[in-house]
Amino acid sequence: MLAIRELGFRYPAASVAALDNVSFNAVRGEVLGLLGPNGAGKTTLIAHLAGLLTIQQGEITLDAQPLAVTRAAKPTRIAVAPQEYAFYPTLTVNENLACFAGVGGLSGAVSKARIAECLAFSQLERHAGVRADYLSGGLKRRLNLAIALLHRPELLLFDEPTVGVDPQSRAFLLEAVKKLAQEGCAVIYTSHYMEEVEAIADCVVILDQGRVLKQGALNELLGADGTQLQLAVAGGEVERLLALLAPFGSVVRQGLGVQLTLDARNSYATVIAAVDAAGLVVSHARFGHTDLEQLFMSLTRRSLRD
Amino acid sequence: MARLNMFLALMKKELLALSRDIHGMAALFLMPMVFIVVMSMALKDVYSPTITKLAYAVLNQDQGEAAKRLVERWVKERGDAKALPENWRDEVRSGRLKYVLLIESGFTSVVDNPGGAEGAKARLLTEPGLDNGMFETNRMRLVAMVTRLRAEAMLAGLPGNLDAAALMGDAPVAAERMAAGAHPTAVQQNVPAWLVFGMFFVVASIAGLFVEERSCGALARLRGLGVQPWQLIVSKVVPYLLVNGVQATLMLAVGIWLMPVIGGEGLSLEGVHWDALLLMLFAISLAAVSLALAVASLVNTHAQAATLGPILNVLMAALGGIMVPLFVMPTVMRNIAAFSPMNWGLEGLLDVLLRSGDIASVVSEAGRLAVFAVLMLALSFVLFRRRV
Repeated sequence: MLAIRELGFRYPAASVAALDNVSFNAVRGEVLGLLGPNGAGKTTLIAHLAGLLTIQQGEITLDAQPLAVTRAAKPTRIAVAPQEYAFYPTLTVNENLACFAGVGGLSGAVSKARIAECLAFSQLERHAGVRADYLSGGLKRRLNLAIALLHRPELLLFDEPTVGVDPQSRAFLLEAVKKLAQEGCAVIYTSHYMEEVEAIADCVVILDQGRVLKQGALNELLGADGTQLQLAVAGGEVERLLALLAPFGSVVRQGLGVQLTLDARNSYATVIAAVDAAGLVVSHARFGHTDLEQLFMSLTRRSLRD
Repeated sequence: MARLNMFLALMKKELLALSRDIHGMAALFLMPMVFIVVMSMALKDVYSPTITKLAYAVLNQDQGEAAKRLVERWVKERGDAKALPENWRDEVRSGRLKYVLLIESGFTSVVDNPGGAEGAKARLLTEPGLDNGMFETNRMRLVAMVTRLRAEAMLAGLPGNLDAAALMGDAPVAAERMAAGAHPTAVQQNVPAWLVFGMFFVVASIAGLFVEERSCGALARLRGLGVQPWQLIVSKVVPYLLVNGVQATLMLAVGIWLMPVIGGEGLSLEGVHWDALLLMLFAISLAAVSLALAVASLVNTHAQAATLGPILNVLMAALGGIMVPLFVMPTVMRNIAAFSPMNWGLEGLLDVLLRSGDIASVVSEAGRLAVFAVLMLALSFVLFRRRV
């Protein structure tokens, strides 16, 4: 549905590009997790999709039509649920929805019906008459979501929609995003919470310093580095452990223990048996695939970005 | 149809947001009303002085015929005198008594014998703080009365066929303000002045709401929904023209109906050309809203919006003859005032309300306001595009 090809952008007077040769696709029915540290270029990318920035280099198409053409014909095909509370704080929930429904061209019975549907989807019916600035953080996020859904967008962009909300609201929002994708929307979801993206994304794009570092289906990215075993033994005999595990795969020191990426022909049980046979006592063991946070940190390094 | 819905939704939002802004509403509606009432009451006497209502007493030490006639004539013009307190000097010094007319012993003799030696006088002893205009008016009136008494005494000494009353009739002098319609009063002057001031106060409201709209991300969302900068500007102009219309109606109503109830003079729209009045109000409103949009596009924060708007307003009002009438300003300041849009608005309204001006007589002021509005709208459009 959405295709971004070799997109580049540099802000006036900036020494480095905010986006450099970025390419990826987002398809209907899937959630694309867009990850990156602060300053990676996520907001610039979203601003392009929201029509707030003009393309300098590369192209963005929606169903093979240039984005500008699509936006001029029907801007409501794309909706953004931005990081900020993008609504009028002194207006009530209903007044906000009516305002943005009207701005998008809805009126009369159609508008009322759609507002009711969005209120129901976001479970905001009880708060329809409440001023937006009196809502809790979670309710404000739900209002942001409701406004984004008003015009039945085909592409939905969520920019860190769960910042500052309680676990219940977060769970609700994640469910809602997943449901929207299942109903046929293409969803782009950015967040710094890796477990969220891991829970709902079908594919992932990792950006840093304006470039795509990695992209692909989530399960493929997480399984690509093989099965990992983190192990520590009593008595601090790390050197012995490193030597013992070397034949089983790639092993590196990690804290007080080691991390072993198992070769395909070896299994967890054989490793533990070897350790036991060598007379070492296991004090800590963790087994499984790389998680998204590990992958993200390994790609983007640990240095602070702000 | 979709575009009309968009405009209606944006305009409704603007009015709803304004109606929830208590401080903004107070600045737009309450403040100019209070100014009209307070300033009209405070300046009431500038146009109908209280000279005949000053508390005074008479100390007649002469008791002669001329002294009696002087007192009679003074009382007839200035109203009854208070009883002379024993400590009248202290009463005058403290201002409780505004003045004392002291007629010294021998006054009648001096009046009846014009060629005689100077001596006794009719003295006006006033409180220290008496307004200079009032002091001079009373002094000159006393001089005129005594001169007349002297002339009457001289004529009385001439052969009896001369009719002293006919000779000394009212002097052939008349003075009046050249008002074509309503006569000038404090209300007639203050309503247009503070109405212009109030209408320009939309600067603070529009700037505040625009900063909020921008900072909360709602503006970006509107742009995302395909709203163009010119559409955003138009959607803000129209509601505030309506707000200015309501302001004008309220301020005129205060002048017409409220002021007489609380003891002031009522505003009169007698002889007013309504088409000229509406043209002036529209031109002022357009200039005010356009300036507001330019300021709104310029500021970045709530603090800037909350200070820049009112400061600009007060400056324009001070320079434009709203706070200090133009006729008391020196020439330099009057030349500066000619550059203030508030002054153009005020002069146009005074033309309509005081001088019964028609459209032709206000076309210059309305034209200047319209040109100013176009420039400000162009500036806001340029700034708007950069910021949204």
